[in-house]
Amino acid sequence: MGAIVERTPERLVRLLGMVAYLDRHPGVAVEDVAAHFAITPDQVMRDVDTLWVSGTPGYWPDDLIDFDASSLESGVVQLTQSRGMTRALRLGTREAVALVAALRALRESVGDALDPAEREVLVSTLAALTAATGEAAAAVDVQLAIQAAPEVVATARSALRTGRRLRIRYVNASDAVSERDVDPWQLLTGDEHSYLQAWCHMAGGERLFRLDRILAAEQLDQAVTTDPGPARQETFRPTAEHERVTLELDGQARWVAEQFPVDEIDDLPDGGFRVTMRIAAPAWLHHLLLQIAPFVRSIEPDGAAREVATAARRALGAYEAVPDHEPLPANQ
Amino acid sequence: MPESLPPAERLLNLVIALVNTPGRMTKDQIRASVAGYDREGSGDAFERMFERDKETLRELGVPVVTVSSAAHGDDQGYRIDVDAYALAPMELSAAQLGVLTLAAELWQDQALRGDATRALTKLRAVGTTAAATDAVAGLAPRLHPAGPALVPLLDATQARQQVTFTYRAASTSEVLLRRVQPWRLIASGGGWYLVGHDIDRRAPRVFRLSRIVGDVDVVGPAGAFTVPPDVDPTALVDSQHSGSRIAWLAVAPDRAGALRSRAVPAEGTGEEAPTSLAAPEGMDVLAVPFERTTDLADEITAYTDAVVVLGPAALREAVVRRLLEAVVMGDRLSGTDGGDRGTDA
Repeated sequence: MGAIVERTPERLVRLLGMVAYLDRHPGVAVEDVAAHFAITPDQVMRDVDTLWVSGTPGYWPDDLIDFDASSLESGVVQLTQSRGMTRALRLGTREAVALVAALRALRESVGDALDPAEREVLVSTLAALTAATGEAAAAVDVQLAIQAAPEVVATARSALRTGRRLRIRYVNASDAVSERDVDPWQLLTGDEHSYLQAWCHMAGGERLFRLDRILAAEQLDQAVTTDPGPARQETFRPTAEHERVTLELDGQARWVAEQFPVDEIDDLPDGGFRVTMRIAAPAWLHHLLLQIAPFVRSIEPDGAAREVATAARRALGAYEAVPDHEPLPANQ
Repeated sequence: MPESLPPAERLLNLVIALVNTPGRMTKDQIRASVAGYDREGSGDAFERMFERDKETLRELGVPVVTVSSAAHGDDQGYRIDVDAYALAPMELSAAQLGVLTLAAELWQDQALRGDATRALTKLRAVGTTAAATDAVAGLAPRLHPAGPALVPLLDATQARQQVTFTYRAASTSEVLLRRVQPWRLIASGGGWYLVGHDIDRRAPRVFRLSRIVGDVDVVGPAGAFTVPPDVDPTALVDSQHSGSRIAWLAVAPDRAGALRSRAVPAEGTGEEAPTSLAAPEGMDVLAVPFERTTDLADEITAYTDAVVVLGPAALREAVVRRLLEAVVMGDRLSGTDGGDRGTDA
């Protein structure tokens, strides 16, 4: 017995799916069945062993699902008796919703960046699934954001397809522009921002580049020299080297604790809260403070607040000549 | 025949038996003949196992139907109809299966991950194998996690059932029980939202899932309401989404590269740069299309004195307000103004 812990429903769905699949595809190599169902060849053999002794009551040889034994010895799964289990299972409501919403989100976000053949695959898949499941997916609407120059996306995708290095001009959160050669790994299409995950030869490490901050991208002739790592879920992974700040905020700024990784959060009796977090860069903290200024009760260390206020005062100078701007409304 | 089969194998045999039975099988017949049920054990244990198995199959989309026989009084039998569980006839190419695999990735680290994975397994039965086809190479969709409220809210939305949950209001941080008819779940801009009819406030409301505290409870029957046909729930989340406009910005040399990259030629805008405010000397005037005032104001404010908004006025006011708020914050925190904020909260 293999030591695989798999939930009963998952295994049952696969066993039934495998019979229906093998009924349509006479003679498939064990490795190909494994790849198709995203399992190991050993698991395919365990599944075949299970199917082989399953069937209708009585369980005499004629009652059982059957395979061609000599094919199997040569590594090919050939179904010879399906016991009527040839139909695929229809999708449950949540299952249909999950896939249809994801396909729609992809179509809306990256549809324009795909070449016509790719786009056709995406659109036809969505059509096939919608036809098979009905209008199940109105319950969920996923909006992915790919706010980037179309040329940048097209160049990045082309480099990804052909395995070429990219030269990008990138402006970071501190408004500093740099030119870097990178090995593109993946485009991460997110619900807030989209990123190019890449190996940066200038930094000598993996980096996430926000697509809307890539000013220009050029595909180089040089092939990539690094293998893609796993897709990252967070854009900023705090480590001990990053500076810690503690903010006490009004409840209206609660999104801060929801949106960013935090070390600690304490709710205060009046609805405010105190949060300790690590910051990626001083510019990031400045930007945050500008967004939540009315709700900041205290910040430790407090240097950033002073710097932000000084910069804001300087910036307001440019607007003094404006005749029509309203004074700041009284505390809301 | 082994007496104790793994549950998946017992269920497989149950499905094959009930699909192939000419009419129906009674519980006694199932217990006595289907592999995996213990014919020696107690009747109660069998009843519990059989009920659980029926429920598992129902959740997988394989309904076990009850067939009463007139000849046998209340003696019920069971059967599975292939047409009730079968997917509509379809074929998926290897490339299409590749796209579906990519789509399922959207739900990694999400409560719907199991559903997406199972859907994919079901669809593989009608898919074609091919050597690794990367239909849409190098794209990886990602979502912020929705948290535990997503699944019960989705089920209730689908069933059109009322829900109640405890919700922390954004403006006051007050925690209140809300009664809602759920219309749609929306992932947008890094957050998950429920749009629905708030029964106590008698109006449509948007709820952020991360502010739901504790469990979501379903109340009352399915089909209890309909989503008004004239309402676009997504538009309620995107209420500031008002189409593309042009922001006129004065930008210091070599600064704000991200804004510069989105600038369009001024002649192509069909507008004139505003004249109420002259661009400071040495700055470049850019025309930058935008959709949401708040988003662009947040972005521009971050550049402080490197960007000056010439127009439109609403954008300029939003930026000026943010800058003034930052000045007030600086004064407040440095104690030069002991003023308007109580310290004895």
